[in-house]
Amino acid sequence: MEALKTLLPQIFYVLIFPGFLFCFIFGLFLSGIDRKMVARMQRRIGPPIMQPFYDFFKLVGKDHIIPRKASKKVFLLAPIFGLISIVIIALFIPIFGFTFQNNTADIIVILYLITIPALSLVVGGSSSGSPFASIGISREMVTMLSYELPLVMIFLAIGRKAGAAINGNVTFSLADISKYQSMSGIMISKWALIPAAIAFLLIIPAEVGTVPFDVAEAETEICEGPLVEYSGLYLGIYKLTQAVKMFIMGSLFVALFFGGSGFSNIYLNIILMIVAVIITIVLSVSFVRSVLGRLKVEQTLKFFWTVPTALSAISLILVYLKF
Amino acid sequence: MTSYFSNLPIIAILAPFLGAFLVGLMGGRKKLLNVQRSIAIATTFTSFLSLIYLIKPVILDKYIVAYWMGNWKPESQWAIGIGLEVDAFSLFTALIIAAACFLSAIYSFKYMEEDNGLDKYYVLFQLLSASMIGFVLTGDVFNMYVMLEIMTFAAIALTSFRNHLYKSVEAGFKYIVIGSLGSSFILLGTILLYSQLHTLNLAQMAALLHGNYTPVSILALAFMLTGYAVKAFMVPCHTWPVDAHMAAPSSISMLLSGIMSKTGVYALVRILYMIYQSTGRPEMEFLIIFWGTITMLVGITMAVVQTDFKRLLAFSSVSQIGYIMVGFGVGLSVNKGVAVVGTMGALFHMLNHATFKSLLFLCAGAVLHQTGTTDLNKLGGLSKKMPYTTAFFIIGTLSISGIPPFNGFVSKWLIYQASFEAGYAPVTIIALMASVLTLASLIKVIQSVFFGQLKEEYKDVKEVPLFMRIPMMVLSAICIIVGVVPNFVSKYLIEPAAFSIYNIGNYIDVMFEKGYAAKMFKETVSIPSMDYTLAGYWNPLSWLILFMILLIALILFFSFGYKSSNNKVIDDLINTRYETFTGGEKEDYNHLGENDMFWGMRQDFGRYFRFIKGAHSGVVNDYVLWVVAACAIVTIYLFTLM
Amino acid sequence: MLLNYIGSFLIIILGLYITIVKKNLIKIVIGMSLMDSGINLLLISIGFRQGGTAPIFMSDLKPGAFFVDPVPQALTLTSIVIGACVTALALSLVIKIKAHYGSIDADKVRRLNG
Repeated sequence: MEALKTLLPQIFYVLIFPGFLFCFIFGLFLSGIDRKMVARMQRRIGPPIMQPFYDFFKLVGKDHIIPRKASKKVFLLAPIFGLISIVIIALFIPIFGFTFQNNTADIIVILYLITIPALSLVVGGSSSGSPFASIGISREMVTMLSYELPLVMIFLAIGRKAGAAINGNVTFSLADISKYQSMSGIMISKWALIPAAIAFLLIIPAEVGTVPFDVAEAETEICEGPLVEYSGLYLGIYKLTQAVKMFIMGSLFVALFFGGSGFSNIYLNIILMIVAVIITIVLSVSFVRSVLGRLKVEQTLKFFWTVPTALSAISLILVYLKF
Repeated sequence: MTSYFSNLPIIAILAPFLGAFLVGLMGGRKKLLNVQRSIAIATTFTSFLSLIYLIKPVILDKYIVAYWMGNWKPESQWAIGIGLEVDAFSLFTALIIAAACFLSAIYSFKYMEEDNGLDKYYVLFQLLSASMIGFVLTGDVFNMYVMLEIMTFAAIALTSFRNHLYKSVEAGFKYIVIGSLGSSFILLGTILLYSQLHTLNLAQMAALLHGNYTPVSILALAFMLTGYAVKAFMVPCHTWPVDAHMAAPSSISMLLSGIMSKTGVYALVRILYMIYQSTGRPEMEFLIIFWGTITMLVGITMAVVQTDFKRLLAFSSVSQIGYIMVGFGVGLSVNKGVAVVGTMGALFHMLNHATFKSLLFLCAGAVLHQTGTTDLNKLGGLSKKMPYTTAFFIIGTLSISGIPPFNGFVSKWLIYQASFEAGYAPVTIIALMASVLTLASLIKVIQSVFFGQLKEEYKDVKEVPLFMRIPMMVLSAICIIVGVVPNFVSKYLIEPAAFSIYNIGNYIDVMFEKGYAAKMFKETVSIPSMDYTLAGYWNPLSWLILFMILLIALILFFSFGYKSSNNKVIDDLINTRYETFTGGEKEDYNHLGENDMFWGMRQDFGRYFRFIKGAHSGVVNDYVLWVVAACAIVTIYLFTLM
Repeated sequence: MLLNYIGSFLIIILGLYITIVKKNLIKIVIGMSLMDSGINLLLISIGFRQGGTAPIFMSDLKPGAFFVDPVPQALTLTSIVIGACVTALALSLVIKIKAHYGSIDADKVRRLNG
């Protein structure tokens, strides 16, 4: 009975909030808001906000075809692993001081879990045996390489800043970072970390896979790249993964830079987080998407290894000089 | 001291030597081949078993086993015989070696079927295993050199075993020139140390050299560091293994790449931590960390542009050794808590690297055995014919890049944490980038070899026989199990080994008598505390939740998709419903191989890649010059700072 | 005694020079063997004691006789054997290289590069 008492809240957290159901609903909702904002900025009317839900349910109902050349098991297992890992991250991110797993929140685990969906895209595309997919996965690997470098530096800078106040050295734990923010003000108010925040906003479009960095899934050039042979339920799972990733990156930004304790009521905290995530995604994804075109893959690499790297390197140096 | 387990180390060393001589006596008659194979398997199993029996006294009871050969006990506190001394670190390394030799013996049962001269193969194989185990179990510096030379000979002869291929002979020659250069440096260092201390016993050297360095001993340290760096392939002495691992038969490549490097690392740890006692010296820490970082970078840069399967795996071995050296470098730091984490990360990575690198080489051997080539530009689409090999290779790839449920993640996490807390933030960044580049180079191999389109000439390739699959299965199982329950492995294997690295006093005392170390040191040797937390990984509740999530996912998978509607109408060639989409054009052979991958990156960094690739020119004299230059730089560095 | 040490280091450096500069494979093997000889000379000279005699047990030996150090002499025997083995193995590999490549010039034996 005791075990059931502790188990029941955990099941609730996993399945409903912030586990599967909340991630799916909010992720697809964010994706719909993004499309609507882009359309309005381009003076169109655009699809209704619930359009991604309709897309997903349509895809689930369709038949799926597996090409003769594909290796079936890897082809079918790859999307599921991507989805699982991205949902697991949602359990780790603190919502204004309230984490669901108190001592299992760690930045390096999150860093690796974020690369798993990109990896599942690569392996799924590779196993489908199509030449379009092979070009797509090559570009996807180079894109992944390019945004990992500034992302690592941002995490290290934040870890050093929070750790220097808490235990004299660095920390890797998200719980410590949110404790630091509730003690001494939100992270973005420190001068040394503003370049890091700007760099993180530049990385979000690349992680999510949207213009100007979506060369891996370029619809006009290589027919969706790694996803060209997917159809039916599995294509729906990939689109769902992309939507949930938008939510994860937004809430990671909010937790790292605007975190702390917020209000003390948990329902108000949740609403605050939802609003903050929507604002972040609109700012970094929709504004950029409606204006710019698509970069080539070597331009992507060159961009990421100059501008965001320089910004986060400045941040890291300033943090080490104790600003 | 005369209980049953003091004889076990010598049994572990002698069993394969005896087996080698027996097999050599039997000669080359075909009828006796199966007898020879079973002798090889039996002797490696014997040494593995005797090392397992040693686990209980050494690790569980924390007892150090010492054995003086020929019963030449020390006279009046001076060592005059050769002593074998087994503490937890030696046992840890020896277990890895013995297990790998045993698995390789099983693999070469079927792999070496078409070669002739197999009795010589088994003689050399057993000499290799016996000398590797002897290297880590001995407590005498010159004995280490002799075992090292036996190991080098056996490895060179096995590299050029298939001497009807030109690459084996060329690789063997380069190996012997650079390898014997390294051994000569080690001998020089040993001689110079002997001239200062007049003893050859490790424990006594540690006691006598405590802290008071003379210029001759610093020169000896420089020579020995360079010599063992050649054995443990650190840049710039890394040029011999990439040829040797490519040309050797795969059951030997696995031993050379995964295991022999560990003996070099073992010797470096013994020299730095025990003889020279440089824990707490920032200049040594900086040297080892800097050396490890360069190794990581150069290794993985070369791996991205290779066109041969096994050469790529050898370069990625070089970069993983860089990780281990960074871990041990952090272990020399002044801050005791961080140092312990660094050492434990490095030890864990030794175990993990042996496992997944052996698995990758065995898969490469399976591909070579069935298709006859390892050129990435010629292979393609083998996953439908060899499904087991594909699955094992994917498990190996995920382990080496450090994806969470597999074992690479735990050790790499410890190394990142240790290097960041020790204050070397650029090293953490470079380590993470090297991890992503490792993933990229192995994805390139998977796409070129296993997925994609099958060539006409490989249409009737079959899966490898069962005997070759058994070692691969065992290694994958170890990868997954160590990744899921790292605490178990860490408590029983890693912590006692790390404890014994720092606890020099006990090592010395066992050789002579209690109190000898304190007398020599005139102070007590402090042992840092071993508590740490793998924060965020081991929490039973979170594992239960993960299990539930996986269960839900598998239910989704099996109910929706697996029994798909694709089981009918496969052979209908007119119906293009199940072909891949090519936009309406005719589908010829359009496999994207090695040359077309990562084109963007190779374009951007073209000058950098061309520079490093051109530097590996293939001429022996250049490689020797690099080793000598490394020795010169290390000597100048040590003399200016100590 | 100083002469021995200087001589042995000169021989070692000469052996290294040959291995670095000369292109003929047999000359490289000669250089390796020369380096081994230099190390052996160094090893023997370390064990020398002024006024000592050879460390061999003879029948009419009095206790308290003054030997030179016997340990380096044992080490030198081992090292000479190892040097001979290395030379033999290297030369057999050179024969095989000549059979495959047709020449023993180090600039032509470089098909494994990059």
